[in-house]
This record gives sequence, C-alpha cells and structure tokens, in this order.
Amino acid sequence: MAGPRTQSAPPDSRADTDDALLAVRAAEGDEDAFAVLVQRHAPALIRLATSLLGTGTEAEDAVQDAFLSAWRRLPEFQGRSAFGTWIYRIVTNRCLNVLRSRRPVASLEAAGDVAAAEHTTSPARITEGRDAVRELREALDLLSAEQRACWVLRELDGRSYEFIADAVGISQEAVRARVFRARRSLTQALGAWR
Amino acid sequence: MTDRTDPPNTPSAQGDDELLPCGRLLSRTWDDWEQQTDDPHLRSCPHCRQAVHGLDDLESVVRGLQQETDTTAAAYDTEPLTRRIMDVVRLELRPGRPLPLGEPAEDLWIMEAVAARALRAAAETVPGVRAGSCRLLDGGGDGGDDGTVEVRLDIHAPADAPLPELAARVREQVWEAADRELGMVIAAVDIRVTDLVPTSMADDQEGGSA
Repeated sequence: MAGPRTQSAPPDSRADTDDALLAVRAAEGDEDAFAVLVQRHAPALIRLATSLLGTGTEAEDAVQDAFLSAWRRLPEFQGRSAFGTWIYRIVTNRCLNVLRSRRPVASLEAAGDVAAAEHTTSPARITEGRDAVRELREALDLLSAEQRACWVLRELDGRSYEFIADAVGISQEAVRARVFRARRSLTQALGAWR
Repeated sequence: MTDRTDPPNTPSAQGDDELLPCGRLLSRTWDDWEQQTDDPHLRSCPHCRQAVHGLDDLESVVRGLQQETDTTAAAYDTEPLTRRIMDVVRLELRPGRPLPLGEPAEDLWIMEAVAARALRAAAETVPGVRAGSCRLLDGGGDGGDDGTVEVRLDIHAPADAPLPELAARVREQVWEAADRELGMVIAAVDIRVTDLVPTSMADDQEGGSA
C-alpha cells in the first residue's frame, strides 16, 4: 500500500548517516538503513573472514550468516556497543564455529607434537615470495581454531589483546597464550620446511 | 613471567614454553619483542636474538600474506553479497504493528516500520537533521483508539540551530508527510534531540541530500 512512498527518501540521505542512527532505524524495521550498514561494513568483514578461514566461499557464507543474524537480533541490540564492533564479533564467532567444525581435535595434538621440535631452526632465511606465503597458509591450517582466530586477529588484523579477548569471549591471558602457541607453531613450520 | 602465557585453563601450558640457554623463557623474549621493550639483554644475548629472528622472519611472510589478502579483498565486489543478504532480509517478516489510516470507519492500515520510514525521511528534509528512532503509538490517550497516532521521533540536530524553531519545522514536515503521503491522522509529534552535530558536518549533509 505505502510501498512506493518509501522511495520518496532522498537516495543519498543515508550515506552520511552514522552507524548508530542506522542501527536504530534497522532495529525498528528499516531495511534500507540496514542495507547501508551491510554495504558499509561488508568489505572489511569479508577481509576478516577470508583471513580467518582462508577461503573466499566460506568467508562469504560466514559474513552473510552474520548479517542475517544481526538483522534478527537488532531489536535487542540497543546500541550497547558500536555496530561495527558488534558485527565484527558476530563474524568472528561464525568463523570460529566453521573452524571448529572443520578440524578434528586429533590434529590439534599433532600440531602440538610438531611444536615440540627445537624452535630456533632458522639460519638467515629468505622469507619472501609466494612459496613462503603458501607455506604459512598451510601452517595456519594446522593450528587449533582458537589459536588461529587469536593469531589472525592479532597479526593480520592488528587488534589489541583486549579487543580480541572481547571478540572471542576469552580472557586476555588466554588470548596471549594462544597467540604465543600459534607463533611457535608457525615459526617452526616455516623453519622446518626450508 | 610465566603467568602471561600460562592461562589457568591450560594445565600443560608450561610444556609449550621453552627455556632458552640464557635462562629466559621464550614467551618473555617474544613478549618483550612485541612490546618493543628496551632491554640490553635482548640486544646482546645471542639466544634471544635468534629467537626474535624467527619471529622477524615470520613477520615478513605475514606481510606477504597481508598483501595477498588486501589484493583479494580490494578486488571483491560486495554488491552481489549485499543483494543476497537484503533479499533474505526483505522476505523475512518482522513482527510489526499495524496502524490505522484514514477515517475511523475505514479499514485501512499501515505497518509501523513503513510509516516510520516515511516520517523519518520527512524530518530529514529539514537541513542538517538526521532521524533515528521513530515510534508510532496509538493516539487518543489511555486505551483510546480514536484512529489517531502519536509520533515519538529522535533526531540529531545541527549544533548551531535554535532548537525550538528547528523542532517546529521538523514537526511541520512530519505532520505534512503523514497527512499528504500516508493519510494518517497525527495527534502529536514528540521530538527528542539525542545529539548535536557540528555545523560543518550538517552543511555537508545538507549538500549531500539537496
């Protein structure tokens, strides 16, 4: 009935509207406001999910699921944190679940065994080029879901330990321990394969 | 120092760490490296330097991975993803309230979310105004169902605007849109200013939507 009326809004009136207002509108059922939030945050979230999961297709699915979950939960969100932080946390947790379902616990132990080797394997190494990056990707697959998530948020996304602890829902100490273990595994893996 | 790397939930954490020949724990050396602690030992100890060297090597590969990720992300077109998400969103029915339109005898209704969107847009025709929450309640007081609606609108206003005048203009726009676009009878428009936006930003906003 009033469908066409909604077109009367100036098309660019939302482009400069801040996240908090858009989130309030979206919570009250304004789909157009939500669309702006999706457009605004999707690129960074795709990058985050790709870093966490390593593959584009899964990353897309995770981001899509996260936004749909956000849409359904917006009425209860009530701006307790910035929308960007909130959706970042939802994407991170989606990806964590994907990683957990991907990896049996056994491989965790195996990664631990690798970690028992001497860590200081490196003479001067040339660590540039695609081969090294490919090796790093493979080494990332050997990490536990939590180690990988904490390490990616720290190293690839440059987040503080405090931020990561909040996003992943564990203590800062636990984040530090996981980043440490991830670094050990990764330095060893890169050293051992050279 | 071990307390930094041995969380209480991991009983075997100390097995993960390593005592370097100089007597320092690897975790501490790496921690100092990360915090860029200025420690003479770190510069002079061959074992610590070697341990840090491993991390430096890792960092250089990480930068390569970052570049690859950035390149992929920069080339990624979010348009199809946005469309897929919004297709699902628009299909999902949010439980909403129908509001009466027209004369009391008429059986014509509009969903609150749809009406709110039109009224927000009307409020934003006043330069510098940005609309947030817009709730529509049954007018006519307690338990009254006289076919009128009461609007409660939150706005961000330009910092230098005289608020009473601004509110009057917003009210007028909302009233007019309700009447002209929706055919909705409004009993009252309550406006709450939830933020004052610096004027330069308000000017930009005005230019953007003019």
